[in-house]
Amino acid sequence: MNPTSSKVEGDFPVYFRYTAGIAGERFLREIKDNGKLVASRCVKCNLNYLPPRIYCERCMSKLEEYVEVANHGTVETVTTCTQDSDGKTFPEPVTVALVRFPLAHGGLIHKTKGQLAIGDNVRVVFKEKAKRIGSILDIEHFEKVA
Amino acid sequence: MGGPNANWNRSRDEKLGEKSLSKLEPSGVPLKEDDIEKQKVLTVTYHPNTKYAWATGVAVGEFLKGLKAGVITGSKCDECGRIVVPPRLFCEWCFRRTENWVKLPDTGSVNTFSVSYITADTTRVKEPLIPAVIEIDGTSGAGFLHFIGGVKPDQLKIGMRVKASWVDASKRQGSITDIKHFAPSER
Repeated sequence: MNPTSSKVEGDFPVYFRYTAGIAGERFLREIKDNGKLVASRCVKCNLNYLPPRIYCERCMSKLEEYVEVANHGTVETVTTCTQDSDGKTFPEPVTVALVRFPLAHGGLIHKTKGQLAIGDNVRVVFKEKAKRIGSILDIEHFEKVA
Repeated sequence: MGGPNANWNRSRDEKLGEKSLSKLEPSGVPLKEDDIEKQKVLTVTYHPNTKYAWATGVAVGEFLKGLKAGVITGSKCDECGRIVVPPRLFCEWCFRRTENWVKLPDTGSVNTFSVSYITADTTRVKEPLIPAVIEIDGTSGAGFLHFIGGVKPDQLKIGMRVKASWVDASKRQGSITDIKHFAPSER
């Protein structure tokens, strides 16, 4: 490159604001207020959707019934990430797992405490109530149980 | 399409047929800014990584280097003698390379202007922004965009004389914003 050429750096001021939707709002508020996981139930198909959604993807029924889901489940799959989504290296690697819950259709992806293996039984560890803000991060991590 | 789910798909389609899309009740939830500010609903904000780096090229690189030193730099075509600013590497009239950089005065006249009561990100402002095309003295048929400052909108005139108002030398970064704005000047 010619020495007189230079570069200009910048950043676009692009900011997004998301709402969780009807079912997502209910899900997050149950975590925040009650430290509970809830799924939305399709009575017709006998499915409990986790995270909850407002329509059954099988029969297209509107779902308005919510059921509590146990806060322990099984590791379906697990991966260790060394970089964030921008390719920046984490100070410490982060392990995330997809956990399925008994009687629930779907599952949750979150950080784990320590290394986990497929098939491990884990429980959901919530932040203490005063620190919860109504976010998926109100869940601290998944923790292995004996 | 065959496959294990073929029958299931058919029955779903039949059910959908009974209840046409137009008969589904709307279920949107209208939200106002107030609902979000008063945290009636939970929200997540997100700023994606939108950083960029832009190569200035040789001519604009020369221009920006000049601004840092408090000088407006143009390029002169040795064929037709025309001087343009911001400088470019070729004369689009003669198709000649133009690497003859010339120092220009920081005075000129207003070719055209606009009075804007919103900023680039659509924020409303009381004091208007006045973007203008400035024709720098000594150049012909080329001008560059900058703001006009230190003048009331009703005093603006096309052809009015202006002079660059510079950022303090120690704070200049080799950017077009090293010039704060152009302010009216008497000739």
